[in-house]
Amino acid sequence: MASLGALLLLLSFVTAAYAVAASVAGARRRNTRLIESGVGAFYTVAALMTVASGVIIYAFVAGDYSIRYVQRYSDSVQPIFYKITSYWGGLDGSVMFWVFLLSLFGSVAVKVNRDRHRELIPYVVAVIGAVEMFFLFLMIIHNNPFATYLTESPTDGRGLNPLLQNFYMAIHPPTMYLGFVGLTIPFAFGMAALITGHLDDSWLRAVRRWTMFSWFFLSLGLTLGMIWAYEELGWGGYWGWDPVENAGMLPWFTATAFLHSVMVQERRGMLRVWNVSLVIITFLLTIVGTFLTRSGVVQSIHAFGEDPQLARYFAAFMIFTIVFSFGWVIYRLPLLKGRHELDSWMSKEAAFLANNWVLLFSALFVLFATMFPTITEMINGERLTVGPPFFNRWMVPIGLILLVLTGTGPLLAWRKSTITNLKDQFLWPTLAGLVVGGIVVAMGVRVWGSGLCFAFSAYVMGTLIQEVVRGANVRRGMTGTDLLTAMIGLVSRNKRRYGGYIVHVGIVLMFLGFAGEGFSRDEQLLLKPGDEATVGDYTLHLDAIRVTDDGQKQMVTGHITVKDQSGAVLEIMKPAKWYFRKHEEEPTSEVAIRRSFAEDLYVVMPAFEIEEQTASVEVHINPLVNWVWFGFGILAVGTGIALLPEAALGFAVAGAPAGAVTATLLLLSLLLPTGLAFAQHVETGQDPRLEKVTSPEAREVAHKLACWCGGCSKLPVGQCSCGHCAVERAKIDVMLKEGKNEGEILKFYVDTYGGSQILSEPPNSGSGRVVWLMPVVVGLGGFMMAAFLALRWSSRRASVAGMPAGIEDPEMAARLNDELRNLD
Amino acid sequence: MKYKAVKIGLTSLVLAMTFGGLLYTTMAEGTEYYKHVDEVMAQPDAWYGKKLQLHGFVVPNSIMKRKNTLDYQFQVQSNGHVVNATYTGVVPDTFKSDSEVVLKGVLTADGFTTQPNGVMAKCPSKYEAKPGGATAPSGKY
Repeated sequence: MASLGALLLLLSFVTAAYAVAASVAGARRRNTRLIESGVGAFYTVAALMTVASGVIIYAFVAGDYSIRYVQRYSDSVQPIFYKITSYWGGLDGSVMFWVFLLSLFGSVAVKVNRDRHRELIPYVVAVIGAVEMFFLFLMIIHNNPFATYLTESPTDGRGLNPLLQNFYMAIHPPTMYLGFVGLTIPFAFGMAALITGHLDDSWLRAVRRWTMFSWFFLSLGLTLGMIWAYEELGWGGYWGWDPVENAGMLPWFTATAFLHSVMVQERRGMLRVWNVSLVIITFLLTIVGTFLTRSGVVQSIHAFGEDPQLARYFAAFMIFTIVFSFGWVIYRLPLLKGRHELDSWMSKEAAFLANNWVLLFSALFVLFATMFPTITEMINGERLTVGPPFFNRWMVPIGLILLVLTGTGPLLAWRKSTITNLKDQFLWPTLAGLVVGGIVVAMGVRVWGSGLCFAFSAYVMGTLIQEVVRGANVRRGMTGTDLLTAMIGLVSRNKRRYGGYIVHVGIVLMFLGFAGEGFSRDEQLLLKPGDEATVGDYTLHLDAIRVTDDGQKQMVTGHITVKDQSGAVLEIMKPAKWYFRKHEEEPTSEVAIRRSFAEDLYVVMPAFEIEEQTASVEVHINPLVNWVWFGFGILAVGTGIALLPEAALGFAVAGAPAGAVTATLLLLSLLLPTGLAFAQHVETGQDPRLEKVTSPEAREVAHKLACWCGGCSKLPVGQCSCGHCAVERAKIDVMLKEGKNEGEILKFYVDTYGGSQILSEPPNSGSGRVVWLMPVVVGLGGFMMAAFLALRWSSRRASVAGMPAGIEDPEMAARLNDELRNLD
Repeated sequence: MKYKAVKIGLTSLVLAMTFGGLLYTTMAEGTEYYKHVDEVMAQPDAWYGKKLQLHGFVVPNSIMKRKNTLDYQFQVQSNGHVVNATYTGVVPDTFKSDSEVVLKGVLTADGFTTQPNGVMAKCPSKYEAKPGGATAPSGKY
């Protein structure tokens, strides 16, 4: 199994290299057969990756624990659903899943656009192929998911982390990946347009849908992540500006910007450099996101893999991408000149431009703040961190500016709005905003951010309603139907525009939810059975703490009667702590939530004392939080409508499945938050325990030594649990305290055991260096080989040699070739 | 053309300065030092009163809880340096003897005062066990 999988990955790498070389050469030589073969190879990569995915899923389901990755992220008692999702549970598999999705998406994108954008296709194949090669290269030399234990494989796995054995967490990563990977397609088309110089707007049409599709999945992924945090982690919130969350947010900002600025280019032929740069930046940010969370560059409270080597590969890839892509942008600047200049600041173009700046600024700000600890550490060695308050201080005003722009853009005319025009358009929305603002002030809302948000939301809703009603009125006049029918007709006539408006309604509702957070309150209580406490309008009465056991887990449940101000019983809430068999050390807190559109009552019981008969209870009141999820549902409907194929355009393949997916996912997203709040936590995994005895330095050294106890297939000494290793770790600790450095300690072991087999990694010196360098040399060789072949096959001489057999005379062939070239 | 370049240049300069200024002022109150216990306790008086995120391990059996309250007293150590810490509130599930924690708060001569909700216990590897890190399994198979 393992060797088959590894072989498939190698084959994929070689095939991708061929696809890159053949299509570049084919494009330069204008040799259709070579291009065709490149495209064929490109499809083959997708086929190979599909088989490889099949192999790894089979290994998970069948429990092939000789494969390290399978052993590490699953075990025999795990439900089959989580066995399959373990595929992307860890780093190695998620990289593979990434390539798998990219190869599939790439193939679909190439297939759909093959005839329409014939001149771009070879370079699209080459760019996607090169990205695939990078990730395949990573897998083959660094993170091979098919790596096996050398000897004596364990009989059972360690199990997927219980925190990840949760429905949302199982589907959250794939949706994020769909979004991330999908954004490679616009990048590939943008690069192809730059390289070929076909910089008219046709490439934009090819990628618009892909961007929207990816944007949708990114939004879905982020929302699922929020729901997971809210229902699982039990801290009462859903967004904490954690580096991982931020990483997903970064490309979302720039993709949103692109979706707006693309309209300016289509309508007015402006912002061409900007658009192509946005596509490149968005792609880079998807890579930065992966890089940040996977390389350990940014420390998060979640223990991520710290991997300096991976960081270096990623850094090299990013630098290359930046130089290569922006190099092309600079080279093509003369072709990218806009057809028009900005006529007036009172125009739609200007509003879109402002929206783009703010979004790009948001992306840069979040990136900066996320990297801040790393930056300060590089500059002066002190690790300074910034917390959520800092993010909020900046992102709240930025969000409010964006909200205002959402309401302003549709009201302005293209090119220039006249004064009468402005008066006519802005009157009602502004009134709506002012009225709500007045009510907010009159009610004495103290949180200025939330108050403004309510007023602005009213303004935006005013705009959107006005737009739809005016459009529908015109249509009613034309068709003579009633207003509602006219409205539906309007939306179906111009799906993209009105779909976009519906998305904006969703965004406004989500903002209402965010604004509600300004009024949230929380309290920590210590209750004994019979005690009562009042939080906000609720009175909580602890009836009892009950201990039950269902065979799989012991459940300690607090029975809390919740009453309103009049004393009427509203509900009995049951926050709990669950102690799973074999996992008694790590109880899970089960949240109890009483939902309503006005506010959530969120109750957690993080601790209890049997002797004292007390329970610690944490109560959060989260106003309006459900509007975030509901708003997302509306947003999904809007995206679905915007994505529906327009009859005249044949991009149906990209549109139709996306629409269907949208509808399904919408249903899911509406059902999930209500249905599954308590039906989770099927924990079967065996959790890694913290290692305590030795100091971090000793552990680091211990990881460079292999254990020869015979029972552990040569795990590093720092990891193995045998007695021998515990002793060795203690010894290393002592040696470190004696002042020996790492080199001396390793040398001591090499001398004692008479050879470097005791080292878990080859030494990075002398002949050991060859082992380190080998994979890099081989991998780079692959890239260079592809480049070399592409150049060689496309050179003049070679092209003569490759002429059809009918033309014998090389001179004749060269002439024909020249004339053919001049024809284009 | 030249005029336009000047205009754009000036606008960007003003914007950059505004943002820089805002960033600097908000940064001053928003930042916290991220330190390990030993780094801080090597010279504790230098850190008195500064906002810290303190990284360390809970000393085994040092956690004490005042009866019928949510007041905790415990010790945190790294590399032999120990600091006394206090906290009032609900602690996370994973907070126990020997667990790896990050505390937010302020150091005083009496010890480390943890701010509300300032106890963060490291998750048992959300995605990956750190190779060589604290979450490496000592596991039994």
